[in-house]
This record gives sequence, C-alpha cells and structure tokens, in this order.
Amino acid sequence: MNNTNDPENESVSKELEEALKSFASNTKQVPAGYFDQFELDLMQKIKATGQAPLKAPIISLFSNQKKYLVAASLLFAIATGYLFMNKAANTSDSIANVETIDIKTLPDELIEAYVSNNELVAEVEWNSAIEAVGANLTSTNN
Amino acid sequence: MTDQALIIQFQNGDSKEGAFTQLLKRHQAPVFFQIKKMVLEHADADDIAQAVWIKVWNKLDGFKQESAFSTWLFRIAYNETLNFIAQKKRLKTHSTQNELDHNVAHPSSQDALKETAVQIKLERAIAELPEKQRFVFMLRYYEAFDYEKIASITGTTVGGAKANYHQAVKKMTSILEQD
Repeated sequence: MNNTNDPENESVSKELEEALKSFASNTKQVPAGYFDQFELDLMQKIKATGQAPLKAPIISLFSNQKKYLVAASLLFAIATGYLFMNKAANTSDSIANVETIDIKTLPDELIEAYVSNNELVAEVEWNSAIEAVGANLTSTNN
Repeated sequence: MTDQALIIQFQNGDSKEGAFTQLLKRHQAPVFFQIKKMVLEHADADDIAQAVWIKVWNKLDGFKQESAFSTWLFRIAYNETLNFIAQKKRLKTHSTQNELDHNVAHPSSQDALKETAVQIKLERAIAELPEKQRFVFMLRYYEAFDYEKIASITGTTVGGAKANYHQAVKKMTSILEQD
C-alpha cells in the first residue's frame, strides 16, 4: 500500500516497503494447481461430513388405511372421554339431588302423627335428663 | 453474479454447490494468502483455510447479509487463524514465535523464502507483533481494506484498528533499523 494520496499518513519507509514486497511475493507461492485441488478436497470433506446415512423408503401396506385408523382412534378417545365426563356429572348430580317436600302438601294427619311421635320421644329424653340431674343432687346432699 | 445473488441462490437451495464454489473461486486466494502471512507454513494455512470454508458452508444459510460477504468471510478467517495460533501455543512447549523464528531461519523448500538479511529481520518483526495487530496490518497494507471493514473483521473500533496499524509499522521499522 504505497499510494501518493495518503490521508491517513501511513507511508512506510523505503526499506520496510521493499521488505514487505518480498514478503508478500514469498508467501504467495503455492504449488501448481493448489487452488483447484483445494476446491475438490473441500467439497469432498463437506459431502463427507454432511452426508446422513440414506434410509430406504418404507412402503407401508397400511398407508391408505392409516389415516382412517388414526381418525377412528381419535373418535374413540373423544367418545370415551365424553361418556366418562358425562357419567361423572350424573353421579355427582344424583348425590346432590335431595328430594324436597313442601309441607303444605302433606296431609294434617301425617303431620300430627309425626309431631306426636317426636314429642313423645322428646318427653322421654327430657324426663331422663331431669332424673339424671335429680339423682346427682340427691347423692350430693347425702 | 454478485456475491449477494450467489448467497441468495445458496440459501434458496438452488444449486447450492454451484453457488458455493463460485464464491469459493472468487474469494479463496485473498483469504488463503492472508492466513498464510499470519502462519507462514503452507500446511497450516491449508488446514485453517479448509476450516474457514467448511464453516462458511455450514453457516451461509443463516448469513443475513448485514455486512458484505468478504467482511464476514475474513472475520471467520480471523477467528480461525487466531484460534489455531492459540491452540498451537498451548500444545507445543515452544511458543509460536519460536516456531516463526524457526521458519524464518530454516525455510521449507516448498515455501522457498528469500533469505536476505532484511527478510529475516522483517519476518522476525512480524513474528513479534501480537496476532491481532499482525492481522490488522496485513489487511490494511496488502488488501487495502478500509478501517471500518477492518474493525468489523477484528471486532475492534476504527480507532483501535488505526492504532494497531501504526504500532505495527512503528515496530517493524524499528526492528529493520537495528543492526
């Protein structure tokens, strides 16, 4: 690089310039046909490293039916899932369902019988409780 | 076809090999000589150049053309060369500088170096330069790349590239002036 226009002030001494010229000339020496051979060697290497083992094409006997099998499997899965979810919902609903009875619809005799029965039970339980407390008082006084 | 067109052809998968070999033919010589100026040994330069172009093949699909192809290519060459030199330094007991000195004193018949006193001094001077400085100098002096391009290639600033160049010139001049 030794042009007269040297805005970067990069001129080198004459001695260095001559030495650099010889240096370049020496390093540019390559064997005859080197670059052609380089290209061949390089492309061989690239092909060798980039080549994956060839796979024989697989001819499937079921190639046509495969898509139908896949579709059928999917439908089956969806249907099973739906049924499962549906059954679960029904079971939970049935547990949650509690039959409610409107008392106004009940006949009076039924209501009276219920109250009487439960009143008797309540009275017995109440008497038992009183007796128990009374027994305790008696024992304490003694 | 321009580099851009060849790259697009490669990336589209249209005759990938054809596009690649065209790029190779166009750019392989300057890249190779740049590498050889760094390592001097032909066999080493050959190994590095092969590694560079294999990397180009593998990465060209992802090259977005935000810079010129040659910038990107020389950047790969720069990295591969410096990695090679660093690896050689680690593997050998003697430093690369000693090896360069050895090459200078005992040039291979294949390289056929002219053994003038000045030549020997110059090559010693070049060997003493840090690798990055050496690479910058070679790109600027021999390839006449502008400093923006050199900065992109070497991952430095324009100011840094200029400083590298001037320091390299100063050092080589000083060594040549020694008796």
